[in-house]
This record gives sequence, C-alpha cells and structure tokens, in this order.
Amino acid sequence: MALDLQSAAAVAAFARRVPAAAAVADDAARVATACHDMAVRFHRGGKLLVFGTGAAATDAQHLAVEFVHPVIVGKRALPAVSLTNDVATLTGVAARDGVGEAFARQLQLLGDPADIALGVSADADSPSVLRGLQVAHERGLLTVALAGGHAGAIAHSPAVDHAFVARSEDALVVKEVHVTTYHVLWELVHVFFEHPNLLDETVPA
Amino acid sequence: MTSDAPVASGVESLYPFLYAGTSDLAPVLAAVRRSTVEKATEIVALRETMAQRYAGQLAGCAHALAVAFAGGGRLFTFGNGGSSTDAQAVAQLFLDPEPGTRALPAVALTGDVAVLTALANDVGFEVVFARQLAAFGRRGDIAVGLSTSGGSANVLRGFEEASRRGMVTVGFAGYDGGRMAAAGTIEHLFVVPSSSVHRIQEVQTTTYHVLWELTQHALADL
Repeated sequence: MALDLQSAAAVAAFARRVPAAAAVADDAARVATACHDMAVRFHRGGKLLVFGTGAAATDAQHLAVEFVHPVIVGKRALPAVSLTNDVATLTGVAARDGVGEAFARQLQLLGDPADIALGVSADADSPSVLRGLQVAHERGLLTVALAGGHAGAIAHSPAVDHAFVARSEDALVVKEVHVTTYHVLWELVHVFFEHPNLLDETVPA
Repeated sequence: MTSDAPVASGVESLYPFLYAGTSDLAPVLAAVRRSTVEKATEIVALRETMAQRYAGQLAGCAHALAVAFAGGGRLFTFGNGGSSTDAQAVAQLFLDPEPGTRALPAVALTGDVAVLTALANDVGFEVVFARQLAAFGRRGDIAVGLSTSGGSANVLRGFEEASRRGMVTVGFAGYDGGRMAAAGTIEHLFVVPSSSVHRIQEVQTTTYHVLWELTQHALADL
C-alpha cells in the first residue's frame, strides 16, 4: 500500500474514534454519581481493587498508579491495588480453579466491605471480571465496571452498581474510551474531598 | 468547605467553579457533570490535531516497522508509571492481537520485576531499560518508548542504547516533546501537543493503536 493511501487510512482510523469518544459526555451524570459514591468509600477508609484481563490488565495497573501516585501535585494519594500483578497467585489460582476465579479468589481475601471493586472488560463478557464483581457485591463492596461492545453480561449484571459502556464494538476504541473514563473518575473523585460535608454517610446519594 | 478556600492549583485552577465553597450535593454533581462533558470535547479535538499532524509520519513509521518485522525484528517497549502500562499494552497488542490479525514478537521491558529491581538497586534507575536493550536488542529490532513529559531519564537512555545498536526507534511524548525531541536518537517521534498528562496518555493510546493497524496493513502489502 502506497504511503499516501496509508496516510488516508491513518486519518480514517482517527476519525473512526470520534463517536465513541464524544459519547463519554452522555455518561456525565453517571460519572458524577459514581465519583461521589467512590469518594464516600475512600472517606470511610476503603480502598480500590482493580482488575481486568489482557489489555484491560494494563488499564487495571494504570488505574491503580493513578490513585496511588497522582500526577497532579497536591492531590492526596488514595489506596488502590491492581489484582493483576501477583503472577504467583494468578497462575496458582488459574491452574487449580481456572482463570475465571483469578480475581474472585483475591477479592474474597483482600476485599473489605468498605472497599471499591472496579472491573475492566473491553467486551463486557469477561467471565473472571464478572465473577470478581459478583463476589465483591456479595461482600458489600461498591462495584464499578468499565465495559464496551454490545454491553454484555457485566453491563447488565445486578452485581454492578455503576457501569460505563463504551459505545464501540472495536476493543481498541473501547480501551481508549476507558482510559478517558478512568482519568475523569480519578480527577473528579478528588472534587468531593473538597466538600467533606458531602461525604457523610447520612447524605443521600 | 465554606470558609477555607483551597489554594488554587492543579485541578482547582482548571475548574475554579468546583471550589467555590458549595455545600450542597446537587450543584457539585452538576459541576462534575459539566467537567466530564468538557473533557470529552477536549479529547476529540486533540485527536483531530494529531491526525492532521502525523498521518504521513505514522504511515512512514508503519512501513519501517513492517520491514523490521519481516526481517525478523522484535519489538521492545518501555516507559514509567502510567506509561509503563502503555508499554505493556503496546507489547500485548502486537503479540496477542484479535483473531484474524498477525501476531508479532513483542516484549515489554517493564514486566520483569526481578530484572528491574536488580538494575535499579545495583546500578541506578536510569539504566533499567538501556541495560535490557543492550542484552536483548539487535540491529533490526524495534524500540518503542513512551513518556508524557518527554524527559524521563531512563527512557532517554533506552533510546541512546537502541539507536547505538541500530534498532528502529519510535517515541511517544507530550507537551513540546521535551528532551526526546532534542535527543537525536528517535527516528519516529509522535508528540501530543497538550500539557495535560491525562489527555496526552489518552491520545498516545489512540496513536499506538493506529500505528498497529497501519503496521498490519503494511505487512500485508510488503
């Protein structure tokens, strides 16, 4: 393919992202409510537990570092852990109980009721992410899901308190929307810390 | 918070309306909603700028990567913090793409904690990527480094080593490209013209996704 055709393909590839990226604005009300709920959990001493498979595992790690080591100087560090890092545990659970239990098993032991569980799945069908969110919900954690594609099982699960579904069937575009969404979630959680009266548990969400 | 207004910095300086001492939930939620809408608009515009600025260079870079892979080259990726997760995402995308596309050899240099901590402890953190590239890298391999500031010392050292070894060098930076733009060791450099670390990372993600797509096209046409 000639370079000018490839240049045109590049322009087309960027343009293909626009509808899904612009649609993040449609989730603004959901983002605001989720950020408030997350801020309440952190205020109560909860921590964030993040998980995903494949490319979403890198998003889980990105999310964790975002909260633990903020890029904006002066923002407080918040406790967040990616459940994708411990290769010994991951491969141990996968070999014994199947990869579907990889996150659920960790959440059963590491998750406290005040915590937040955040699962990332580009296609919204990842069995291990869904299992993790279900176990987290049973244990009383706040559950947040970043999903995509056809809004599969995770987006519709009653175990998920806040679901954000990227409007694309392309897993790469979904990931890009997820990066924007979790950056916004991180930034706007901090807004609520400037209003501690809004973090009182008696305030209705 | 009603009387002690925080010193304007960071988020506060960007969104002063959020810090006006509001005490009720509804107006804060409304302000947060507006902030999300603004960010969605900003990211769409920034990607449009990148498409206009770099379409031709992405095409040229994809051709160079295709030639390197066809010649037996392997891809090595590196970065710090959030950019380390991008380095891993780039390697994962090339190595384990969706069915129907071509899987290619790629390794993230941030994955082996034993190697990273050994090098950092024994020598210094600035060599953690350069030493691995010295051990693994060959002429015809590819080095992809990411830094939002363009100034990460270990990323710059990595590019020095990769360039010295005759690898194809690809960089992703933000702001004005920083020291990565001036280094002279990076053949293909994509700079996201923003001062927001978050928007830079979001557009870098799209840019390496597009580069992967073009590389698949280029390999099919070699």
